[in-house]
Amino acid sequence: MDCATCEAMVDVYLDGEMSAADCAEFERALVLCPDCRKRLDDARALSALLRELPPEPAPDLLRARIDRELHAIAGRSQDTAVAGRSVSRASLRWTAMAASLVAAVSIGWLGGSLSTQGSRDADELTAGFLRVASSEHPVDVVSSDRHTVKPWFAGKISYSPPVHDLTADGFPLLGGRIDIYDGRKVAVLVYRHNQHKVALTLWPAASGNGAPARIEQRDGFVLAQWRRDGFELRAVSDIEPAEMTAFTKAVDRSLATGG
Amino acid sequence: MDGMSDALQPDGETVERFRTVMLPHLDAAYGFARWLTRDPVQAQDVAQEAMLRALRYFHAFRGGEARPWLLRIVRNTWLDARKRRAAEQPLEVVEDEAAEGPTPEQSAIAGDRRRQVAAALAALPTEAREILVLREIEDLTYKEIAAVLDLPIGTVMSRLARAREKLAGDLQSRLGRRDHGLRDL
Repeated sequence: MDCATCEAMVDVYLDGEMSAADCAEFERALVLCPDCRKRLDDARALSALLRELPPEPAPDLLRARIDRELHAIAGRSQDTAVAGRSVSRASLRWTAMAASLVAAVSIGWLGGSLSTQGSRDADELTAGFLRVASSEHPVDVVSSDRHTVKPWFAGKISYSPPVHDLTADGFPLLGGRIDIYDGRKVAVLVYRHNQHKVALTLWPAASGNGAPARIEQRDGFVLAQWRRDGFELRAVSDIEPAEMTAFTKAVDRSLATGG
Repeated sequence: MDGMSDALQPDGETVERFRTVMLPHLDAAYGFARWLTRDPVQAQDVAQEAMLRALRYFHAFRGGEARPWLLRIVRNTWLDARKRRAAEQPLEVVEDEAAEGPTPEQSAIAGDRRRQVAAALAALPTEAREILVLREIEDLTYKEIAAVLDLPIGTVMSRLARAREKLAGDLQSRLGRRDHGLRDL
């Protein structure tokens, strides 16, 4: 073992990451190499300094706060257990899928992220879609008539969303609901496409510039985000990406015709 | 999408299992959050949010080492919180790399040497700080560190070597023992 190798091995040796055979060879080399011995001693000393820092245990208050939350969550699940039994298998599957997806997105196991959007945004959007997809009552106002849906939002949120039925494009309007996104109330329009639902969340854009739809696919979900005619638009569904593209185009066409 | 059988809403049984498996690592979660945030109040918030996130994702935990799994969530929670703060206050310098970290009074560390070591570690840039904490304080293996930081093991090794070199240099200038090795401190 030459000295350069020996040097490079100091950390690996100290960290206990070296095989027994390599350890033996390294120790033999050390005997012949005072520089590497010094290096090892220094590394050991630094490690010891860090390891003697006193631990900082979690404060009791933090422990109590978490304990309270856990109690509340365990209690809540008992309350909903009865109601939960009537929920269809399909919606349970949805919920489970959402859980896995949200987990995957947030923890970052999937690698990459919704580029400009943080994982929190993806969490919120997906959770919003899941409330639509898994609920027996996906909309608060059930109507395919935009003249019913649009006024329904008045007084409930601070802006008037453009509402269009897209039946002609294969996306009939089911209705609308209010959701919370990024800490404020937003309009969600729910469309149907064959057996699937599409949740379109929209709110006034801060910038007047348009931005073409960017479509991303993750584990069975498709997310689209774009900006058009002064609105930020986010669509989430479990349809095919091509269908999502068709949906965004249908929305754009309806916005262009005014409403 | 394997193992989709768990519901999003954790039931009582899941919470109990979570208490047994994850809660014992709360000290580690808080400790790591402390070194990341360098602020005891923020560290509590990060640790609490991370714990609740961990509960929500607990169905995705497939056994194995609980502590690295939790520490990864702690780190991601902290990164998200930092991003959030940056978005709210664009002018704020989100991370002052030269920050001194916990003051000696705050950290309540007895002895000047320990105080200096803690201050030197706290003053390191995130990249060096987090890897040293994971290796030397949390005593994680290279493989576990790689999982927490989402890095290849080779990168873990090279970052760790650089971090150690930097800390050793900083400590020697802090303690004014330029001529001697650390073991003389």
